[in-house]
Amino acid sequence: MGRMVLRICHLYPELMNIYGDRGNIIALKRRCEWRGIEAEISLLSLEDKPDPRLYDLFFIGGGQDREQEMVCHDLQKVKGEALREAHAAGACFLAICGGYQLLGHYFRTWKGEVLPGIGIFDAWTVGGETRFIGNVVAEWEDGGGRRTLVGFENHSGRTRLGPHSRPLARVKVGHGNNGEDGWEGCRCGNAFGTYLHGSLLPKNPWLADEIIRLALSRRYGEVELEHLDDSLEERAHAAAVRRAAGKRGG
Amino acid sequence: MQPRRILAVNLANLIGRASRLLEKGGGTTLPGRVALKIMPDLPERLVDELEGGCVLVTGTNGKTTTSNLIADILRRSGFKPVHNRHGANLIYGVTSALARDCGPSARLRGDIALFEVDEATLPEMGRRLRPRLIVITNLFRDQLDRYGELESLAERINAGLRMLEEGDLLLNADDPLVATLGEGTTLRVSYFGMEDGGVGSDATAMQHAADSKFCRYCGEPLEFKRVFYGHMGVYGCLRCGRSRPAVDFPALALSLRGVEGSELLVGGWNGGLSLRTRLPGLYNAYNVLAAAAAARLLGLEADKVTEGVEGYSTVFGRAEWIEAEGRRVLLILSKNPAGFNEVIRTVTEDAESGKTLLLALNDLTADGRDVSWIWDVDFEELVPFSREVIISGTRAEDMALRMKYAGLPEEKMRLESDPKRAFLAAVRSAPPGGAIYALTTYTATLALRKALAELGYVRGYWEE
Repeated sequence: MGRMVLRICHLYPELMNIYGDRGNIIALKRRCEWRGIEAEISLLSLEDKPDPRLYDLFFIGGGQDREQEMVCHDLQKVKGEALREAHAAGACFLAICGGYQLLGHYFRTWKGEVLPGIGIFDAWTVGGETRFIGNVVAEWEDGGGRRTLVGFENHSGRTRLGPHSRPLARVKVGHGNNGEDGWEGCRCGNAFGTYLHGSLLPKNPWLADEIIRLALSRRYGEVELEHLDDSLEERAHAAAVRRAAGKRGG
Repeated sequence: MQPRRILAVNLANLIGRASRLLEKGGGTTLPGRVALKIMPDLPERLVDELEGGCVLVTGTNGKTTTSNLIADILRRSGFKPVHNRHGANLIYGVTSALARDCGPSARLRGDIALFEVDEATLPEMGRRLRPRLIVITNLFRDQLDRYGELESLAERINAGLRMLEEGDLLLNADDPLVATLGEGTTLRVSYFGMEDGGVGSDATAMQHAADSKFCRYCGEPLEFKRVFYGHMGVYGCLRCGRSRPAVDFPALALSLRGVEGSELLVGGWNGGLSLRTRLPGLYNAYNVLAAAAAARLLGLEADKVTEGVEGYSTVFGRAEWIEAEGRRVLLILSKNPAGFNEVIRTVTEDAESGKTLLLALNDLTADGRDVSWIWDVDFEELVPFSREVIISGTRAEDMALRMKYAGLPEEKMRLESDPKRAFLAAVRSAPPGGAIYALTTYTATLALRKALAELGYVRGYWEE
């Protein structure tokens, strides 16, 4: 087999990038390069229509309110159909915070305004009066052994999952999806949604690899990823866990 | 007699002196907190008595440097400004600074108030102090956990400004968001901005840290003809026709000389005003421009502006050269993506590779607890110039990881979470006569400055 190529579609890079979420793209790209896999990144913004068969992985980050409204509109009018089609065909998705919300059924703001989503996640979000802000540690629930996720959340939306979604992780420190049921994130098929910034993937490299593996398997079948030295990643992960624990109740 | 006021001021100063004696840091917040408990309207009572009135400076980046420049120009013009020089810029810090400048009878020993204020605190400060001049430098994403999103911050500032009846408002024309802040106010608005056609680049070079890229009125993406840095530029909206306002105080010519400083020619004076500054980088040229424009609005003389700008030496860590063990150390506060990118651009301007860098990332409340923002900084640009990067701070591991993903080989980085040990490692890394570039977040700058004081290279900032 020749050199493998991972085709990534970065959605609304200049609109949905408020808390360093592009770090996830940097992490995916590097972790591919270090293994001799080519990461091809396409930037798609307002009015651009994606070819659903072209990409193996779609990424969308979080944005400010105004940007989120523009993106909501564009998802409804331009991209929604193609993205749903790609998802149904097994493409991978990673959606953070505002992107996670817009890929659900809808977002109802605190003022009662409704932003429709595109329903890739069986989940819906209602705006809350207060924001959940702080470090998060959560225990992975989605198989593959006991692992933790670390990140930083900053959202007022409360997200609930429907029966076709399963949660990603159980919150140990922080609030997660809604601050009540103890869950963080969501998985529907090969789509992952989460509130975690940080950036997420650099400090949770095993999740980065899981996403790369899933995305590649669509085109190349089962692939085994070459092992990388993640000692620095693990130190940063451990430091984030310590930092979160230190902040608890404070 | 005003016994309550005398009690408030003297108790605040007693606490301030005690905390300086005990070296509990600068003692810049607690005195004000106590004074306000005793007398909630102390700041406005004190400032009301000043003949020269009050000047406020705010914005995400550059407010400390800009207000310090204005203070120096005022002093050279014969004024005695009452000023929060060390940048404690919430209501407590400002009150502490006011108390500190009072005599035992609780009257201010000065004639004009000059405060840099936190951008979120501006509405409250404006309401209390009724300033004759407000300067707004720029608005960038910074500490989203504390300020919230940029648009809502702008709305709060805008609403605060509309409550004021009179005075001057000096705005940065090149920042599309700041340029709109005079809307709906009765203040006299004037603008400063970059007019040197050779500065900046075309819009394709816009950085990841650029924030205000949409028309605030109609939401259309703005067309940028030029970009100076971040989202500072020459812009307009093709849909509703709004564009960058006409500039009253332009930088007609600017020549940047890397970490050595820059020279600029400022319009708004007859024949222009030629200024030379030792402050490095385009972002500091903006600070000088804002200070010069403010001086003009305050009616100060051109030669005092020249002297003030040229004679300016910085306060702790905001672009400061020090000497240590035969090495030149440049300390630069770098606290958010836009600021950090400008610092990186300035530090790499001389194209000398093999630099020793010290990066320190903290996540205390004053830094912002969320460190995600480092992924918006273009650290990739720093990698080709790095000999060794010493990494420190409460989130040193996050910073190290950022540098790894920016392409820095792990053998070129060294983690030392303790600031003193980190600094000594940097000294060992740099050759004698060489330079060390220390780029640090807010509380990491304080920690490094404290370590340098303990090592005997600088005085404590509370002794200045």
